[in-house]
Amino acid sequence: MNLYSYIFRRLLYVVPVLLGVCLIIFVIFNVVAPDPAFILLGRHATIEQIATLHRELGMDRPFIVQYIDIVKSAFTFDFGYSWSSKQQIWEMIKAGAGPSLTITLPLFILSNVLSISIALLVAFYRGKLIDKVVLLVSIAMMSIPSLAYILFGQWFFAAYLGWFEIAGYEPGFPNFIPYTLLPVLLYVAISWGPETRFYRSVILDEVYQDYVRTARAKGVSELSVMFKHVLKNAMIPILTQIILQIPFLILGLLLAESFFSIPGLGGIIIKAINTSDFPVIKAMTILSAIGFILFGVITDVLYTVVDPRMRLK
Amino acid sequence: MAEKILEVKDLVVEFKTDRGTIKAVNGVNFDVFKGKTVGIVGESGSGKSVSALAIMGLIPSPPGRVASGQILFNGKSLVNMEPSEMRKIRGNKIAMIFQEPMTSLNPVFTIGNQIEEVIELHQPQLSKKERTAKAVDMLRLVGIPSPESRVNEYPHQLSGGMRQRVMIAIALSCEPDILIADEPTTALDVTIQAQILELMKKLQKELGMGIILITHDLGVVAETCDSVAVMYCGQIVEAADVKTLFNHPRHPYTKGLMNSIPSFDSTSGRKKERLQTIEGMVPSLFDLPKGCNFQDRCSKVTEQCRGSHGEPTLRDLDSGHLAACFNPLN
Amino acid sequence: MTTATSETLTLNKSETKKAPKSLWRHAFHTIVSDKLACVSLVIVAVYFLVAILTFLGVLAADWNVEVGSAYAAPSMDNIFGTDFLGRSVFLKTIKGTETAVAIGLATAAIALIIGTTLGAVAGYFGGIVDEVIVWFYTTFSAIPFIMLLVSIAFIMGKGTSTVFISLGITSWVGLCRVVRGEVMKHKDREYTHAATAIGAGHTRKIFKHILPNISHVLIINFSLTFESAIKAEVILSYLGLGVQGRPSWGTMIDDSKLELARGVWWQLGAATFAMFVIVLAFNILGDALRDALDPKLKGK
Repeated sequence: MNLYSYIFRRLLYVVPVLLGVCLIIFVIFNVVAPDPAFILLGRHATIEQIATLHRELGMDRPFIVQYIDIVKSAFTFDFGYSWSSKQQIWEMIKAGAGPSLTITLPLFILSNVLSISIALLVAFYRGKLIDKVVLLVSIAMMSIPSLAYILFGQWFFAAYLGWFEIAGYEPGFPNFIPYTLLPVLLYVAISWGPETRFYRSVILDEVYQDYVRTARAKGVSELSVMFKHVLKNAMIPILTQIILQIPFLILGLLLAESFFSIPGLGGIIIKAINTSDFPVIKAMTILSAIGFILFGVITDVLYTVVDPRMRLK
Repeated sequence: MAEKILEVKDLVVEFKTDRGTIKAVNGVNFDVFKGKTVGIVGESGSGKSVSALAIMGLIPSPPGRVASGQILFNGKSLVNMEPSEMRKIRGNKIAMIFQEPMTSLNPVFTIGNQIEEVIELHQPQLSKKERTAKAVDMLRLVGIPSPESRVNEYPHQLSGGMRQRVMIAIALSCEPDILIADEPTTALDVTIQAQILELMKKLQKELGMGIILITHDLGVVAETCDSVAVMYCGQIVEAADVKTLFNHPRHPYTKGLMNSIPSFDSTSGRKKERLQTIEGMVPSLFDLPKGCNFQDRCSKVTEQCRGSHGEPTLRDLDSGHLAACFNPLN
Repeated sequence: MTTATSETLTLNKSETKKAPKSLWRHAFHTIVSDKLACVSLVIVAVYFLVAILTFLGVLAADWNVEVGSAYAAPSMDNIFGTDFLGRSVFLKTIKGTETAVAIGLATAAIALIIGTTLGAVAGYFGGIVDEVIVWFYTTFSAIPFIMLLVSIAFIMGKGTSTVFISLGITSWVGLCRVVRGEVMKHKDREYTHAATAIGAGHTRKIFKHILPNISHVLIINFSLTFESAIKAEVILSYLGLGVQGRPSWGTMIDDSKLELARGVWWQLGAATFAMFVIVLAFNILGDALRDALDPKLKGK
C-alpha cells in the first residue's frame, strides 16, 4: 500500500463521519429544536403566518429531504442566509475569517513556541525545583476559568492601566495590532497552562525511554540527547497536538472576540446564539467539524511520514 | 597476569526515596582485566545494574548518587569526573549494552545513523563517507547479513537478536577497553542467546577488551566468564574465578542459586536431582536486618549472623576465593 | 552453551519478590504520602461538606436577603462586599458551591453512565456493534466541544437541567474510548474465561467481572469531568444559558462584566477564587490518582 492509496482510504472514512455530523446537526436543529416560528414571528403570530414561514424555511418538507439539504451544504458551503442579518452566511464567514486569523495565528505561534520551549526546559531539569514550580503554576493557571482572564485582563490592563485599547478593530496590517495585542496575550496566558503540561508530559514520556540511556552510554551530551533524540520522538505527539489546533484558528475565539469587539467568526457565533440564528449556528458547527475531520486526516498522514514505525508496509 | 584496566573500590551508591535513603550498592570491590570477563551475578535489586551504571557515570541524579568509593579506569578516577571528560570515555573507552534490545535503539533513526553517531562523537576526524563505511563494517563484524542495505533500516524492521547485534556494533565501534553487558541475552530466545554470547566472546578475542557481564543467569556465567562476583542486597557475598566458584561455592547463597538451576547429566540426559529453591524473601533495602543480610534464608544461620559480631565482611578463604560469611561451606 | 540457562533463577526470583500490594492499597499509600494530594483531598471534602450543608439549608439559606447597600465594597460586615441588589457576595459564593458540586456530580455521572455503557458494550461485543459505536463517538468528537455544547444548550433553553444535560452528553467520549480499549484487553483475560466457564452471562461478566477491574479508569475520568464541568458552566452562563434562580459561580463571573467598569471587582474575585481552589485541588488530585492508579505509569 502506498501513501496515496492510504490517503484515499483515510478520506473514504471521512464520509460516514461527515454524514454522522450532519445527522447530529439535523437531529438537534430540525427535529428537537423548538419551532423557529416562535423566535422569528413572536408569540402572536397567526397560523397562516407560521405556515408561510415553515414553507419558506423548507420545514414542511419530509425529514429526509431536510437532512439531505444539510449534507449538501457541507459540500457546497451554501448555507443559505442568516435570519437576523439576512446576509449570505458564506459571505459572512469569509468576512469574519480574516479578523479571526489576526488574533488566532499570532496566538497559535506564540503559545506553542512558548510552551514547547518551556516544556523542553523543565523536562531537562525534571524533578528539580524549577520543574515542580512550572508544573504547579501551569496547573494553577489552567484552574482559572478563561472568562475570568478576559474580564480581569480587559478591565485591569486596558481600562484601568490604559496600556491597551479596550475594544475595537481596524482592518489591515499593522492597524489591527493595537486591538489584537491584549486578546492575544490573554489567550497565551489561558492556553499556556494546559499546553505546557501536555508538552512536558509528552517529552517526559520520551526522556525515560531506554534509547535515551543508550544515547547517554554512547557519550552523547545532555543537550544533544534532549534536542536530537528526545525531541525527534516527542515531535510525533507534539505535531498531532499542533495540527489539531489549526481548525480552531478559523473558528476564532468565542469569548474574546465579542468582548474586544473584533468582527471575527467567534463574535458571529456569539451573536447568532443571542439572536437564535439557527442557520448560522448550523453552518459554523458543520464548518468546524469539517475542519476538525480534515486536519485529523492530515495528522494521520503526517504520522506515516514522520514515524518510521508507521511507514506503510 | 593480565593488565588491570578497571578497579572498583568500596563503591557505595545511594538513592533518595520518599521513605528514606537506601544504599543500592554498599561497598563493592572488583577489578576488570584486559581480555578477561568478570561476571556479576545476582537477583533483580541486588545492585548489579546500579554498579554498572555507576561505572558509566549514568546513575540518575537525583535521586541517586555515588556516595563514596573509587572507580579507577587505567588509574584515573571516574567518580566526580567532569561531565565533558566523562562523555569522551563513554561509548569510546567504556561501552555498554543493555537488556532490552527492543527498546534500546532510537526508533526514529536508522541503525546506520545510530552507529555513525558514536563514531562521529569519538572519531571526529573521519569524514561522513568513512563513517558510513565503518558503520557497514561494524554491522558485518557483528554478523548482520547484507549490511550495506541493512544500514538504512529502522530498528523496528529488525528482530530482537539482530537489534542486540546492532547494540553490540554501536558499543564496539570505537574499540572500547571495557564492554559492560547488562543482561545482554535475557530478553532473547535461547538459541539467539547462545549466538550473542558466542559473538561477544569472539569479538573479545579480536579486540582484547575486558567485559563486565551482568546477569542473573549462572548458566551464562559458566559459559563466558573468567571470574565471578555474586551480589546480594547491594554487597558482594562471594567472589572467585569461575571454576572455583562453580566447583566449590562457599557462601550458602551461591550454593542456593546453583541448586535452583535445573542441571542435566550430559551422558544419561536425565535430571540429576530435584530442584531446590531458596526459602524466604529478599529483605527490603529499607530495613535490612542487623548482621548478615542473608540470615533469614540461610540454613546455616547462627547467633553470630544475627548481628552480635557485626556484618560479615568479604574475606579470603582460599587463595583468592572470597566470601562474606561467618560459617562458609566447606 | 548448556541447557541450563533459560530457566535459571526464575523460580526463586518470583518467590523472593515482595508480596504484591493491591493496586488500591498502593494508591492509598501514594496519595497519603503526597502532601499536596492530601491537602487537595481535604479541600475537596470541605467543598462537598459546604455543598451538603447549603443543600440542607444549614448554610447560606438567606443568601437572597439584602444585607447592605448595592455594590458595597468588602468590609468587616460583608467580607466579599455586596452585589447590585445589596446581597452578600460571600453567601452567594457559598450557595454557588452547592450549584458547582451539583453540576460536577451530575455531569460526571451522566458522562460516566453513557461512556461506560457504550465503551463496555463496544469493547465486549466487538464486530458490527463496536463499529457502530466507534462511528458514533468519532462523529460526536468531530464537532468541537464548544460548538456541540452551545448547540445542545441552545435548543434546550435556559435552565439548570440544561446545564447538567448539555455538559453531560458532551463529556463522555474520552471515557468511552478508554473503557472500550480496557474492556477489549480484559475480555480475553483468564478470569473472564473462568467466569464464562461457570456460566456467567454477558451482563454479569461486564459488570461484575470486567468493570471492577477497570474502576481506576472510571475514577480518574470522574474527577477530570467534574472539574471541567465546573469550568464550562462559566461559558454557558456567559451565553445566557446558565443556571437560573440561584447563584452560581458562572453567573457571578458573568455579572461582573458590567460591574468592573464601576470598579466592582469583588464578585469576580470571590467566584473566581472559589472556583480556582476546587478546580486546582481536583487537578492535583487527578494527577496524583493517575500516578497512583495507572499501572502503566507506575515505577517511573
